[in-house]
Amino acid sequence: MNRQEKEIAVRQAIKNVPLISSAVARLLELSGESEHGIAEIVNIVKYDAVLTAQILKVVNSAAFARKAEVYSIDHAVSLLGEDMVVGIAMSEAAGLLFDKKLEGYAAEAGSLWRHDLKTAIAAKIIAGHARTEVNGDLAFTCGLLHDLGKGVVSDFLKKTPQKIQQAMEQKKFPDYAAAERAILGLDHAEAGYELSLNWNLPAPLPQAIRFHHQPALADEALKPLVYTIHLADIVAMMSGVGTGSDALQYLLDTAYESYIALSSDELAAVMLGVEQEYSKVAGVFWGKEEEAPECA
Amino acid sequence: MAKTKIVGVGEFAVSKDPEEVIKTFALGSCVAVIFLHKPTRTVGLIHVALPESSISPEIVRDRPGYFADTGIHAILQKMAAIAMPPGSLAQGMVVKIAGGANVMDTNNTFNIGKRNVLALKKILWPLGMGPVTEDVGGNISRTVSVSVGTGKIVLSSPTKGEWEI
Ligand SMILES: [Fe+2]
Ligand SMILES: [Fe+2]
Repeated sequence: MNRQEKEIAVRQAIKNVPLISSAVARLLELSGESEHGIAEIVNIVKYDAVLTAQILKVVNSAAFARKAEVYSIDHAVSLLGEDMVVGIAMSEAAGLLFDKKLEGYAAEAGSLWRHDLKTAIAAKIIAGHARTEVNGDLAFTCGLLHDLGKGVVSDFLKKTPQKIQQAMEQKKFPDYAAAERAILGLDHAEAGYELSLNWNLPAPLPQAIRFHHQPALADEALKPLVYTIHLADIVAMMSGVGTGSDALQYLLDTAYESYIALSSDELAAVMLGVEQEYSKVAGVFWGKEEEAPECA
Repeated sequence: MAKTKIVGVGEFAVSKDPEEVIKTFALGSCVAVIFLHKPTRTVGLIHVALPESSISPEIVRDRPGYFADTGIHAILQKMAAIAMPPGSLAQGMVVKIAGGANVMDTNNTFNIGKRNVLALKKILWPLGMGPVTEDVGGNISRTVSVSVGTGKIVLSSPTKGEWEI
């Protein structure tokens, strides 16, 4: 296949990704609204049997070490908190994209999910450093979704990781996304954007996904949020939780300084905070006994 | 089969068991410092995340290994206790470091990998333990494993396979 044929095939593959349930779509939408309570979350979840079952399973898992079994979804949601509920919903809804082995990135199954989760946690913390207000829950959700496109384009990037690595060392591409564009005609950020449109994800999620490696191209009003996701992604990669072959092979856009205030010490504190939160949450998703294939 | 001891971020391990392998995953901007004490065949590995402990004195109690300044002293204390060298620990000690990567076009704030490496060297040099080999920087995430018996150090990354330092 030449590049044009590949691009057509990728765009078709995006259309073939199953849609997310209306409950999940509504949850994502809600997390972006500034005024909402836990009761509204419960209301969405309780009408989705699969989601309810999964949430009860997590809250009763060993990681939470509760003395008494939790049976009520109200109780479960309030114990877990909104971010965890959205996280569980996404891993259910898009598990096929998140959890599969990504040959196109030389990444084991689960690597993308770990990277997305770590980026989400970092995004929420970095949102607190934005110069104008950025909603932390919204930042979390954007972080969770930012690399969704990798689940689609990976199938078309098989056998490329070594070649891209060599080309990057010879400085043939400014970053990994540029290499993807050269091979496929579009990169994982654009693929994720297309997918988010198919899923009818509410604004500003599609833009945050599309521009997380090129935040300067986002609408001015959305830049505080998009730069937050941009930095969160980088923090996750620096901490050793990238996806695979592409880890750290992206550019830092230093124009973030106009939107986010971070001194060296503050960044160090962010990294520490992310590490602590991640080890708590990772225990919930994978259990403590499982050995994560990446550090942190 | 060799026994493998996994070292997480901010942790360290010291071993004298020749059957053992000490391993740490995906360093990113973190740095692994490997101590090979030849006279007593003792090996130590620490996975340092940040240059200075002053940002969080609370963490230091639980995980001194998080930071370059507190981590080196903590692991050397443990090495001295396990190796029990006849003279100074610095005698016959070989130190190697790996990691400290960065994203591309990084700035001073985000250059934590480089600052980690510098902070570590500043602590190691006066101790007479300056690193003899370093595989640091760049834009790759390294995994490190050390065989205690042979002192062989193998690095790996998703696209570059394995190599020895
Ligand atoms: Fe990305
Ligand atoms: Fe990412």
